[in-house]
Amino acid sequence: MALSRIRNFSIVAHIDHGKSTLADRLLSLTGTMDAKKAVDQVLDSMDLERERGITIKAHTVRLLYRARDGHEYTLNLIDTPGHVDFSYEVSRALAACEGAILIVDAAQGIEAQTLANFYLASDAGLTIIPVINKIDLPAADVEGTRLAITETLDLDGDEALAISAKHGTGVPEVLEAIVARIPPPKGEPDAPLKALVFDSFYDSYQGVVVYIRVTDGRVREGMRVLFMSNGASYQVQQVGVFSPDMRPVDELSAGQVGYITAAIKRVADAKVGDTITEQARPATAAFPGYRDAKPMVFAGLYPIEDTDFEVLRDALEKLRLNDPAFTYEPETSLALGYGFRCGFLGMLHMEIVQERLEREFDLSLIVTAPSVQYRVLTTAGELLEIDNPSKLPTPDKIEEMEEPYVTSSIYVPTEFMTSIYKLAQEKRGEHKSLEYIGKRVHIRFDFPLSEIVVDFYDKLKSISKGYASFDYELSDFRASDLVKLDILLNGDPVDALSIIVHRDKAYERGKALVEKLRGVIPRQMYEVAIQAAIGSRVIARETVKAMGKNVTAKCYGGDITRKRKLLEKQKEGKKRMKQVGRVEVPQEAFLTVLKT
Amino acid sequence: MNPEGDFVPLPAVVARRAARSSLPPPEEGLRGQRPRSDTLGLYVHVPFCTKKCYFCSFNTAPMDEGSMRRYLDALHREIDLVAAAPWASRTRLESAFFGGGTPSLLSGAELNGILDHVRERLALAEGFEVTVESNPESLDLEKLRRYRASGVNRISLGVQAMDDAILPAIGRLHDAHGSRHAFALCREAGFDNVSVDLVYGLPGLDLEGWTRAIRAVLDWEPDHLSAYGLTLDDGSLWGATGVRGLPPEEAVVAQYWALAHEARDRGLEHYEISNYARPARRSRHNQIYWRRGEYLALGPGACGFVGDVRYANVKPIARYAALLEGGALPIERAEHLTADQALAERLFLGLRTADGVARETLDERVDATPALRGRVDEWLGEGLMERRGARVRLTERGFLVSDALFVDLL
Repeated sequence: MALSRIRNFSIVAHIDHGKSTLADRLLSLTGTMDAKKAVDQVLDSMDLERERGITIKAHTVRLLYRARDGHEYTLNLIDTPGHVDFSYEVSRALAACEGAILIVDAAQGIEAQTLANFYLASDAGLTIIPVINKIDLPAADVEGTRLAITETLDLDGDEALAISAKHGTGVPEVLEAIVARIPPPKGEPDAPLKALVFDSFYDSYQGVVVYIRVTDGRVREGMRVLFMSNGASYQVQQVGVFSPDMRPVDELSAGQVGYITAAIKRVADAKVGDTITEQARPATAAFPGYRDAKPMVFAGLYPIEDTDFEVLRDALEKLRLNDPAFTYEPETSLALGYGFRCGFLGMLHMEIVQERLEREFDLSLIVTAPSVQYRVLTTAGELLEIDNPSKLPTPDKIEEMEEPYVTSSIYVPTEFMTSIYKLAQEKRGEHKSLEYIGKRVHIRFDFPLSEIVVDFYDKLKSISKGYASFDYELSDFRASDLVKLDILLNGDPVDALSIIVHRDKAYERGKALVEKLRGVIPRQMYEVAIQAAIGSRVIARETVKAMGKNVTAKCYGGDITRKRKLLEKQKEGKKRMKQVGRVEVPQEAFLTVLKT
Repeated sequence: MNPEGDFVPLPAVVARRAARSSLPPPEEGLRGQRPRSDTLGLYVHVPFCTKKCYFCSFNTAPMDEGSMRRYLDALHREIDLVAAAPWASRTRLESAFFGGGTPSLLSGAELNGILDHVRERLALAEGFEVTVESNPESLDLEKLRRYRASGVNRISLGVQAMDDAILPAIGRLHDAHGSRHAFALCREAGFDNVSVDLVYGLPGLDLEGWTRAIRAVLDWEPDHLSAYGLTLDDGSLWGATGVRGLPPEEAVVAQYWALAHEARDRGLEHYEISNYARPARRSRHNQIYWRRGEYLALGPGACGFVGDVRYANVKPIARYAALLEGGALPIERAEHLTADQALAERLFLGLRTADGVARETLDERVDATPALRGRVDEWLGEGLMERRGARVRLTERGFLVSDALFVDLL
């Protein structure tokens, strides 16, 4: 296939601006699938993705399109994840494209993720086609949106296509624009194979299915290929494209997008961003920008029912097959028994894993307060990596402690600057630079990772009405005055509730925590004292009074069923409680630590 | 627009339609069931009220002549249908309880008609107890004499409160004086087994007022006293709207204890969480519930228990009547209990009473979930539960937090 007949592109947009609807339209217009057969928004195929309205995994589909010039083109649509936790994956998916369609909602205008995506695409050197969607809405302001595109983005708003993905209006022009404006891929089919891995998933029959973009050379069945990051080699078993189901082809050559299978057992062995080449005739250099997706946040996962430990272990093993960014190893907690220490890319990633475990494996879980990985130099001269506060040595054995820092980048309209600086200060941010870009500013801060993993992104979005974009990268470890804050229930420390905090924040945090815990720990048969302590020093205390009464007076004219149902309802609520010593602690209590 | 125009469907049509609706065929629920015991209780629901109390979640309907007539016709049909069960001739009734609603809205003749019909179709056990729940304002001496002549031997008088400011605020139509008068009428009519219902934890009720109410009522020397802590149930007005002025929990707990102490001082036995009785005056009917005995249901919304099936009748009078007019039992739901559910019931019902449960019954449950052993030991250790020979029971302190244990015993 001639390179001039191939276009590789992505669709990017702020949430709800119509990315999936347009993708569906393009699929049905090109006959890639019957519109009726299209499950709603075929690209977001995981239930969770559909519910949250975000894409977690990248997806890819090949469209065959006969353009008005009479030629048939192969259009590879590469969909990207849509959350800051996954920005690395986004960047790799975009690296597989030459162009991007940037959707702007005609009624909502340009929003935070419109900007963030614009910068990602333009950093990746892509040709961007602005598309104004939802022109059928009564509130649509097409001309205003054109103006905004010209002013806010470095794009010509007059060239934006006005469409209604919902009704199909203007969608054929989008296809034409893809052909006309996005450059065909460049590449040397006869050069040594060089292909970029931009996603992968595990299939129980074929092993790992690796999504690739070939830039040079060709790959075909039987070829021995090499993963350049770790030198592992495999024999290719199948080469194919997504249309949208997997369909084998003879070969993928320079410029093309598709998949290979090679009896690879773990997704971790085919990492996003890696370079594939031919073993016999390797490429001289791998693609730049490869990063080992490293977990940033660690938390304990414990089954509420002790007997579910094995189920949890099997479930983690299965999830891990498909998600190399997440790690786990067994650990024990005095309070919670047997569980696992798990590492995640960020909080969203953690929530997704937890939700999938609960839903797909019918588990009831307790997630302990998330922690980053600290470095501890002991007085004995040992260097420890601590991702579980309860493992922190006592203060007398600590020579020095370091915490991970990130460099971050925030784009925000100037009107929100003051609140952003205030938030950054609360989060121990160190200001690095400020740059005015039209009506927006680009601010760089260094943050302790622990300050931004939990709710920073949400807070940022809320104080900027959704306009701030945020990206960060792990930079280094810096010495810091950190202490372990323990929570005690009736005098006994609950290891799973311990956190590591900066000394300046310990008092405030401890006070807030015990107050919140008092609200979520239900009254028991006896009084429960909740204390926050640093070492042996108690810094805050609250009390949950003993249960005064809990009784159903009447038996409702012999309606015993009603009485039983009321009790069953109460029992349902108790199912999410964990017995810690003599105290029943609800799952929420552990979440409280996370959110306080 | 009514597709049938002004045509009013005949009752039989309504009944057939009702039977065709989404519910299982009504008799299905009891098919194949037979009582485990040869004595049964009988609960008769009389849904009518002149006014519904704000805390009440029972199945009630406004009193009107037409509905009453239709209800009574249907009730008589239901007696015939139930008595036609193949096992009916082998069982005897040990109690009948007319609950409501306001059963004392039945005239003497109406009540007599029902009881006569029951006696005609079903055998009675020795000491057959017949209770009628009554509101003070609906009683007069003549009616009470007729009731007594009909075989009623126990009156449960809905006094609820003794404060003339509180009574109208909870939707009652009588005052404290009216209650005292009604109680005296019961005695005058010859009833030697009269129970009084009270509610504590009411909005505006403080410990002093409650203690006054208890003492006033105990001075009448009732044979039995039921005192319920107010709950805002789904289905009640207050359950939907909420209510202001509820006393704090400590106050409600103090009210519970005030009653427990006053009642003990007057020689009443605290024989169930909410019930007190003079010797030999426990409610025979209610003990059937707590001992997991069987009872038949009559009337809209009434609940019954036969074999291992708990069932309930449909609630709206019109539908109840329509089903019976079509010759069907008006059962809306029926549930077969599993062995685990039966055991849980035995525990959470038995432990409501001062008799408690057999230790082996509790052990059976604990053996199934070993973690419960610690829980039970805790209750024993905290003085919430006690062993009495071969039985275990909750103490008065235990009663007050009993649901916390029952939840674990499910």
